[in-house]
Amino acid sequence: MNAPDANSAGGRQQQFELSIGCVPIRLQMADERLYNAASARYGAFTGTAAQPIPITLNDFSAAESQPPEFVYEFEGAVLRTGPNLTRFDGVRNEYALDSLLRVLLSWKLTGHTGFLLHAATVIRKGKAYVFTGRSGAGKSTVASLSPRGSVLTDEISLLRCQSGVWRAYGTPFWGEFRAAGSNTSAPVRGIFRLVQAAENRVMALRPVELLRALLPNVLFFSPEAEANRRLLKILGQAVETISGYELAFRKDRAFWEVLPE
Amino acid sequence: MTTKPSVFWQKNPALAWREIDEVTVIISPSDSVMHELNDTGSFLWKNIDGHRSAADLAGLLAESYEVGPDVALTDTQALLEEMSLRKLVIPVPATDGGLG
Repeated sequence: MNAPDANSAGGRQQQFELSIGCVPIRLQMADERLYNAASARYGAFTGTAAQPIPITLNDFSAAESQPPEFVYEFEGAVLRTGPNLTRFDGVRNEYALDSLLRVLLSWKLTGHTGFLLHAATVIRKGKAYVFTGRSGAGKSTVASLSPRGSVLTDEISLLRCQSGVWRAYGTPFWGEFRAAGSNTSAPVRGIFRLVQAAENRVMALRPVELLRALLPNVLFFSPEAEANRRLLKILGQAVETISGYELAFRKDRAFWEVLPE
Repeated sequence: MTTKPSVFWQKNPALAWREIDEVTVIISPSDSVMHELNDTGSFLWKNIDGHRSAADLAGLLAESYEVGPDVALTDTQALLEEMSLRKLVIPVPATDGGLG
């Protein structure tokens, strides 16, 4: 539950549980302002589950029994994660919290056959259409030209393989929509690399071409070879299973007409 | 008389790689660069194990691709040089029994 917890040496601890892509997370913090900001920002993604990843925020009394598996620093905020404890230190505002959550998810998802992708995802007839590309490629435009309520996210999509099926999940990580994505999922129909063009056209990509399209847009922050091998294995499974396309995109609503059913 | 090789070749241990769509894809995590090897490059990559010299690899290439030993050695050396420039492979001192 998202409720005040017992007092600790760092002050009155409160915890907030959320689930992103079926990855359960429990944020624990004493900072009232951060707690309120997190509650507002991740409200659509609240959820409780067994064995959430416990994260302590700015709690220097939290003791680590083992050295962290992964450490990441972002503008003074530091993420340390190990098998039993994850801590975010130096988190001054919700933006830093949001950044560390993305980094943590990108790391943890390699244990769940999943990854985060710079992509807008739109649901059409029960299937997820994933549109990837760098900033300016048209992700938010795709989202804005799609029917209301069909957009899972306009910025960062979460893809996971569950029981042999790749599903796309919404995330609370915002793009230009300035609103949290939808906390739902759908089986992936295809991944579309966005290319601005004078006319709408779609072209199939071979698996290695899809991988080439995905790599610059995958969120991953570990330089370690072993972690990257895990990621590449997952991406390899994805591109060999999911249909990939290049979408030449005129930035008008008619692009839906050229997409495969 | 056969000259003893001075170096063996091994894959850079900092890399991640995988065969996808019959292409060997290699990721360099430090700079997020993706490298792709052609058919011959993939063959060499599979056989680069820290125990083989350029001549050893050329011998395998000649056998599998039915090319002459001189052509195989020239191609192998050129590919190893290219892969070395890209930091995909590194030379290690040759030992009698390899790296073991």
